[in-house]
Amino acid sequence: MVLANLPRVAAISLVAVAIAACGPSSSGTATSKWKIALMSATGTLLDHNFSQYSWEGAKKGAADIGAKDPATVVPKDSTDYDKDIQTFVDAGYNLIVTVAFDEGTATTKAAKKNPNVTFIGVDQSPICVDEQGNADSTFACKGDASKLLPNYSSLWFEEDQPGYLVGMVAASISKTGVVAGVGGINVIPPVVRYLQGFELGAKSINPNIKVETSYVTTSDFTKAFNDPVAGKVLGAQLISQTHADVLFQVAGKTGNGVLDAACAANVFAIGVDVDQYLSYPNADPCIVTSAEKHLSNAVEAAIKSVNAGTQKPGDSLFNAANNGIGISPFHGKDNLISADLQAKLAAALKGMKDGSLKTCPAKCGQA
Amino acid sequence: MDALLHALNGIPVLGLVFQFVEYFITSLPFTAHVAVQLAVPICLAALCGVMCERSGVVNIGLEGIMLTCAFTGWFAGAVVTGVLGPGTPTPIFGFTVPLLLALVAAILAGMLLSLLHAWLSISVRADQIISGAIINIAAIGLTGYMNTLLSTQTLAATSNFSALRIPAAVAGFPVVGWLINALFGQGPIGIATVLIVIIFQILLFRSRWGLRTRSVGEHPRAAETVGIDVIRLRYRNVVMSGALAALGGAYLSMEATNAFQAGMTQGRGFIGLAAMIVGRWTPVGAFGAALLFASSQAISQSISVSPPPGDLGTLLSHVPTQFFDALPYLITIVVLAGLIGRSIAPAADGRPYQRESAS
Repeated sequence: MVLANLPRVAAISLVAVAIAACGPSSSGTATSKWKIALMSATGTLLDHNFSQYSWEGAKKGAADIGAKDPATVVPKDSTDYDKDIQTFVDAGYNLIVTVAFDEGTATTKAAKKNPNVTFIGVDQSPICVDEQGNADSTFACKGDASKLLPNYSSLWFEEDQPGYLVGMVAASISKTGVVAGVGGINVIPPVVRYLQGFELGAKSINPNIKVETSYVTTSDFTKAFNDPVAGKVLGAQLISQTHADVLFQVAGKTGNGVLDAACAANVFAIGVDVDQYLSYPNADPCIVTSAEKHLSNAVEAAIKSVNAGTQKPGDSLFNAANNGIGISPFHGKDNLISADLQAKLAAALKGMKDGSLKTCPAKCGQA
Repeated sequence: MDALLHALNGIPVLGLVFQFVEYFITSLPFTAHVAVQLAVPICLAALCGVMCERSGVVNIGLEGIMLTCAFTGWFAGAVVTGVLGPGTPTPIFGFTVPLLLALVAAILAGMLLSLLHAWLSISVRADQIISGAIINIAAIGLTGYMNTLLSTQTLAATSNFSALRIPAAVAGFPVVGWLINALFGQGPIGIATVLIVIIFQILLFRSRWGLRTRSVGEHPRAAETVGIDVIRLRYRNVVMSGALAALGGAYLSMEATNAFQAGMTQGRGFIGLAAMIVGRWTPVGAFGAALLFASSQAISQSISVSPPPGDLGTLLSHVPTQFFDALPYLITIVVLAGLIGRSIAPAADGRPYQRESAS
């Protein structure tokens, strides 16, 4: 009898451990009134990339204002968003950071429902609401989110600018005249903006260059950003079938597989969002540079200004003008970068700062 | 020849078919290579399923076993690399001492987890579906949690097995060059998979072990009456099958990439189950089904990477990629519905065996 029950007990406790392991965690001493929580992008916190660096920023911000280390939760898919945010609200968290474009609707709803909780969204612009401040799924966006939802601000980046810069690098180091950009999914405007900027940047150096743009998927968010094996296979296929010799990844962990593919085939790779030479050392031999948005700084700054009461609601933009984006150092591959290219990069960056250089086509963010 | 093709392609509607065949043939060297890479982990999971179910034990824990082994292999590799140093990779396949030890660790982990499943489903006679489900759920939670814990540590970077480079002269060989490149332009686990499929097929249908395994899966009582130790054989097969799923997991974190990522199996274990069924519980069938599933993805990628020119390109670019994503499952439904011949499971599949007690 006892023996017969043993496996059942063992099984249940295993599941219990697994579930407990997924719960929010936090530590540190608190002197601040802010209890900070962070919801990562679907399926991943430690992506060596987008979610992780936003989290780093939140941790730094929390330390700056004397709050506890942020609690974190990793949603499994989009059906978890509402529930996870509500769990934080119920547990008394009053500053909630949500990371990723597709968490925008859930964050908007939560901001409307919980006016006493402050929300910071990363990459969720434009915040789209109707006249009453409800999340607007029709994307008519009739309401003014900055007035209707004073407790919600979205940090967004002009990804086309760093995309443009690395596009210039790609075009000038390509020997085959073909470069490729791999996006995770074509329905997320930031992903599309990166690749649109990339194409324009490449063409600005060499008008005849072929820019192959492909997306890992058009529907499956998990595959888009969490499947390095799929990324590697797609990368290898791009290299062999189109002869691309520079691969730019905009696909999170899936994209890390694209970097691996470039290394395996001895061609160049360009990282995304953060300096991937540092965040993904596996691909160091082939990473030339990365298109950066300064996520960590942006989240840290936002938390500090929320604490100071100066954070403006609505969309807050980061671009070249406020040093919100940039291009990573070349880490020992400087010999690939000619003086001519250096000058052109500097000129482009200057053009972005003063607004004279357009880095995105008319349908910016739409694939 | 070109003129003939041109003329054929110009025919309305039917021309599209010719164009597709032409495109298919020209892109075959690329898509076949990709398809085999995508098929390897699915196939290994399916082989694990075949071995289990042929001996009468249902194992839906493939996904969990693969994930655990992907984690164990990568982690063991990082630890051993930290202790012994990275070592010099061999020119072919990139073998290093830490990598080989890691592979052994991954296989042991797979066999251990299978032993748990064997104990639950053979000795305890627990519900085998639930036992498998537990393995899946626990694997996702535990590997995810440990990966989070480890992220704060600095681990030594691990290397991975490298693919065999087929010389251009061989790969460019007319008619069969692409096939050699697709099957053998892989890393050691990829190539081993092809060999395992062949050996397993022969053993299962041409050896004493195979006959006994099949009889234990079809009619254990009859097997027992002729002196086969059903319990022992089931134990042995389930534990051995764990090594196959372990290879599938190791493929993901040690050959396809060189690091573990939380949840990196991405449902490949479940697709492996489907491949097992579509392949009618035979190793070669499972390999074929895995290839079929993988090629729908490879072709869809090929279309997006370098679309065919002309009318066909316009047409195909309007096919939503979801169609290709769904294709493997549609095929599974068609097979399950018995439209392409029936796929019948071993008769005693999933039924725990109980010896008649003498007393």
